[in-house]
Amino acid sequence: MTNDTESKGVKRRDFLKVLGVAGATVGTVGCSSEKVGKLIPYVVHPDQTISGVSTYYASTCRECAAGCGIIAETRDGRTTKLEGNPEHPLNKGALCARGQSSLQGLYNPDRFRGPMMKQNAAWKAIEWDTALALVSQKLGEARSRGTAANSVFVNQHETGSFPGFLDTWLAGAGMKPHLSVDFEADGAAIEANRRAYGASWPKLSFTDAKLIVSFGADFLETWGMSVPQQLDFADARAKIEGAPRFIYIGPRRSLTGLNADQWIACKPGTELAIANALAGNGSIADAAAKSGVAADVLTRLQQELAAAKPALVLSGVSSANALDVATAVAAINKASGAVGTTIKTSEGTTAFDGISSYAELVAAVERMRAGQVPVAFVRGVNPAYNLPAAAKFADAFAKVPFKVSFSLYPDETTELCDLVLPDLHSLESWGDADAGKGTVSMQQPAMDPVFTGTRATADVLIQLAQKDPNTASKYPQKDYRSWLIGRFPGGTSAFTAAVQKGVVAGSVAARTSTAAPAGTAAPQPIEQTPGDLFLVTYHSSVLGDGRGANKPWLQELPDPVTKVLWSSWVEIHPQTATARGIERGDIVEVTTASGKVRAPAYLYLGIRPDTIAVAVGQGHSSVAQLDAWDGKNEKTHPVQWGYGRYARNLGARAHDLLAPGANGAGGLVLTGTRASLAKTGDTEILVSTEGSARQHGRGIAQAVPIAELLKPESREHAKEEKVPGAPTGAFLPGLRSPVAADAQGDLGSPTAEDKGKDKGMYAANHWSGMARRRWAMTIDLARCTGCSACVTACYAENNIPTVGAAWQNATVYAEAKPGFNVTRGREMNWLRLERYFEGANEGEWTEDFEARFVPMLCQHCGNAPCEPVCPVYATYHAPDGLNVQVYNRCVGTRYCSNNCPYKVRYFNWFGYGEPDRKQYAFPSPLDWQLNPDVTVRTKGVMEKCTFCVQRIREAETRVKSEGRDLVADEFTTACAQACPSRAIVFGDAADPTWSVAGQVDDRRAYHVFEELNTYTAVVYLKKVTHAPAIPARA
Amino acid sequence: MTQQRKWTAIPGLLVLAIGAVVLSAYSGASSSQGSAPDQPIAFPHPKHAASVEKGGLGLNCLYCHNNANRSADVGMPAVNTCMGCHQSVMGTTAAGKAEIQKLWKYADVANMGKNARPVPWVRIHKVPEYVHFPHVRHVNAGVTCQTCHGQVQGMPKVYQAASLNMGWCVNCHVNGYDPKEGMKAAGYDTVTPARYAGGVPYGTAGSVAGIMTAQVSAISRDTEARVHSAATPSSERRRARYDCAACHY
Repeated sequence: MTNDTESKGVKRRDFLKVLGVAGATVGTVGCSSEKVGKLIPYVVHPDQTISGVSTYYASTCRECAAGCGIIAETRDGRTTKLEGNPEHPLNKGALCARGQSSLQGLYNPDRFRGPMMKQNAAWKAIEWDTALALVSQKLGEARSRGTAANSVFVNQHETGSFPGFLDTWLAGAGMKPHLSVDFEADGAAIEANRRAYGASWPKLSFTDAKLIVSFGADFLETWGMSVPQQLDFADARAKIEGAPRFIYIGPRRSLTGLNADQWIACKPGTELAIANALAGNGSIADAAAKSGVAADVLTRLQQELAAAKPALVLSGVSSANALDVATAVAAINKASGAVGTTIKTSEGTTAFDGISSYAELVAAVERMRAGQVPVAFVRGVNPAYNLPAAAKFADAFAKVPFKVSFSLYPDETTELCDLVLPDLHSLESWGDADAGKGTVSMQQPAMDPVFTGTRATADVLIQLAQKDPNTASKYPQKDYRSWLIGRFPGGTSAFTAAVQKGVVAGSVAARTSTAAPAGTAAPQPIEQTPGDLFLVTYHSSVLGDGRGANKPWLQELPDPVTKVLWSSWVEIHPQTATARGIERGDIVEVTTASGKVRAPAYLYLGIRPDTIAVAVGQGHSSVAQLDAWDGKNEKTHPVQWGYGRYARNLGARAHDLLAPGANGAGGLVLTGTRASLAKTGDTEILVSTEGSARQHGRGIAQAVPIAELLKPESREHAKEEKVPGAPTGAFLPGLRSPVAADAQGDLGSPTAEDKGKDKGMYAANHWSGMARRRWAMTIDLARCTGCSACVTACYAENNIPTVGAAWQNATVYAEAKPGFNVTRGREMNWLRLERYFEGANEGEWTEDFEARFVPMLCQHCGNAPCEPVCPVYATYHAPDGLNVQVYNRCVGTRYCSNNCPYKVRYFNWFGYGEPDRKQYAFPSPLDWQLNPDVTVRTKGVMEKCTFCVQRIREAETRVKSEGRDLVADEFTTACAQACPSRAIVFGDAADPTWSVAGQVDDRRAYHVFEELNTYTAVVYLKKVTHAPAIPARA
Repeated sequence: MTQQRKWTAIPGLLVLAIGAVVLSAYSGASSSQGSAPDQPIAFPHPKHAASVEKGGLGLNCLYCHNNANRSADVGMPAVNTCMGCHQSVMGTTAAGKAEIQKLWKYADVANMGKNARPVPWVRIHKVPEYVHFPHVRHVNAGVTCQTCHGQVQGMPKVYQAASLNMGWCVNCHVNGYDPKEGMKAAGYDTVTPARYAGGVPYGTAGSVAGIMTAQVSAISRDTEARVHSAATPSSERRRARYDCAACHY
């Protein structure tokens, strides 16, 4: 040791000083790193709830007019998951993506916290008493001036007792019946159904049909009752033998169109000529000339339709002659004897009874413009967004002196109002709905209101009526629940019993239908509109008419057809695009007589070259100038106008392009104008999860022609001769892969008590019994329609963060662009829906191509490529067949993802689960939805499908407590539970009593990338293709 | 290397070492074993849960923590559970009376419970978020509460008795849980079954170690009998499932 105190190095004494300080720091950190948690008990323990154990409430979904039955899983007072009610006659346990996302409406961070009033153009929170007094005063003024009857109440269309209750209330207040508006409803089909069958929506039986022909009816998407229709359609197609062929007619191949065996691409608006020719009211030659479809295609269609009886012909066109098409189609159905077999008029739903047409709403808007309307109420509808720009809603609405919104969210219409009385979400309120003829679906709150300052509109109406001496006597009830019980046969006890089941025989208080007014002026014929391309606009199957845009799950859900998310797009046929020098991602400007929108181009095979298409649903905006949400500026913008932070200024508003005018039934014409298309010169990376649209011979989505399956030799499970050493193709229950069998089996520890005789935990007879079960999944591609309900169900169940919001990018080098993370491949969809095209050379125009959908998730390989490359053993094979990811072991090397042939592993690039980061995916109260049984992953770890291991453990715990064994199909994964096609089956493949065990050896079964010897636990059943019975140009 | 250089280089290495320590502190690897935070009400477990001989009331753990045998979460008693007795039981000592008055404030007795609030108990036992620990599985397997929580019936102020580290968990999951050791940990080997801390009487159908369980295995019942029998056979260790995904998912 030196004594040289003058040297330049660090001296021992200095070093010890530094060490002392550092040590103190470590000590401090060590003591303060633990956050103090609190255990908050109940004040009064509610009966029949156990903390940590879910309670399930049967209720009704209100995301679209159908009103499916749901079961709301509620844990410690917070609803965490929605599932379909298996007892419900409509959806039989299934639930679509939009239904699943209802939760993000409930917990939307942009919901109003309480009533607000606009004063001098600024919004101020007020008390309910003040707000109700104000409404009473304004209504009283209108009554004293004798103008109350001119007031307008626009309500979202819903089935149940509320519309009738509302009409009664309005009558008491001296007002006319309300307008019941649903922009997604097909008014033309409803009107034609009423005229032809005497029912607004008869039951469509796909299983009884021998042929399905759809004229633009997107029955798997927004047309009619999507979940019940999809269930029935999938059942029909899964019959294999005797399954109906499906022909889709329309200028654009929608998701429903992609599920068709044949696409007949007619010019927009010419469906009428084809329908008339089929009905015998016109010649095939004339129809062919008008529609741009080859005459022999139509002749064969006619022959096929004549041969296949009963057929099911549907009309859902959105052009100006929609009512005529629907009427002609009804005539075809009547003539072919479909009524009573495929169209069951006596079993229909009343979901669309009492609906008001678009024309009625426009008429009301015109009365507003004339200054005749003293008070306007809007509940659950957003006309400022959903009416075509040409209707100039905002100007007319401004002429109304007092406007009240009952909206939960700061949408466009609410921003124009004077008062907001925020309603409760459907999961917080009472109600009922029609569940098909003779049954009622009950709606009950699954939890207390998220925001105590909100009140159910029905209760508010009762409170208003009680303030008025003229009507007070009519409303002795405390609230709407009491009102419902009051008219419920059997009273409180029967009501309570019914609520528990969710569905009960009975009927709702029907609303007297309002008479449709004389239709407004029909739009200009499409051929006379300016532009060189036809324009098709359609309701997004994900966002609906735009109401889904504020829910990040739906923004993050790729459109099933184009796989675009967090964005708008313009669909252009590759041929047209090439001719105009447009490439994928080029920003194009679409101009019509009404307006223009800018959006990136998406080159799509399934659209006529003379047509372009834009989806409705995006393009929400605010009047107020708000800074872009950056994840933090909550203080400066307490109200996120423009439909909330997730929807504002995202994509383009297709309504700006629409021509005014209605179809014969008073419905909005979505396909009624031509447009011109111009390249702007800007370009962007299209936000899309689509890799290649082609399989390149990889055999990911396999199909088998029906003729093959009908051959006698294929009826038995004919084993093909295989090259020795090649995989057998047969599913192997138990863990048979060579590597895994060795992992702890034959090489079991010799120091163990049994000297290695115990073959380790992978042995089927291991003392722990861990390898007794073999969790596996089958996915039937003959059933799968690509609707993507499973994807959202997975997000909901597994706390998967959405990553596409503009502010969720990196802090440094940030580009605040919606979907930026997705363009970098950072999306976290554990379960994704891949869509592949077969046939049609890229860029060539043909109607003859096929789409295949494959839900792709972790295959839980028995011989997993991800496992041996993990340096920290964070991923391994569990003895019950799961490929497990241990988050707390993972150090984020991402080797596993690189080695995964299926690319189903997802990495947490940012702290999506950490509240103090701007990338946080669950801003309060969205975090209330988080599943407490699933870890919220942190930055830097890999994650992937777990086969819903938390549900396996929950079931294991339950049966252990009950002292019994698991029974077959006792539980299932979130995706399988939600699937509205019943394509996914999950269970124990080692136990023959489970459904999945019977399917893994199906003659259509195959493993993806079987040649890699991965021994996957996910087995796909090949899609079945149906060639036309009458060959082309024989 | 000169002496000076040495004193320059070592701090570099030490900074790394300190960094590692800091990281380890944040990683949660360190345990908060022994921590005994102040509670909003100084609840005396010995008074309630200790056996009658030891001056307690011999209340069953599950009387208040009533979800332990049916849920993953054990649950804290609702305020009205406390008030069930303390409406009339007002305490004997000055300190005890003061604490019960605190409870009355939470229950808002003065206003007939109109503004009653839950008691914000400070959490002591916590496993990390990525660990799923189901109480129900362990209680129903006959594991005594005290095996993990220590003899709470004797703690004037509750502290974290076990480390709750993974190695501590795995100790049982690999070597097996010995029901006899569990009884010992609970202190039940020294008292007659009728005097278990907070127990239902010995022999009550469906109970082990004074706790009502949903399903009692034969092994647990036998062990309980053997603890108090003259002959003590070699303890039967019960090995639990050993698989990461049993707890980490």
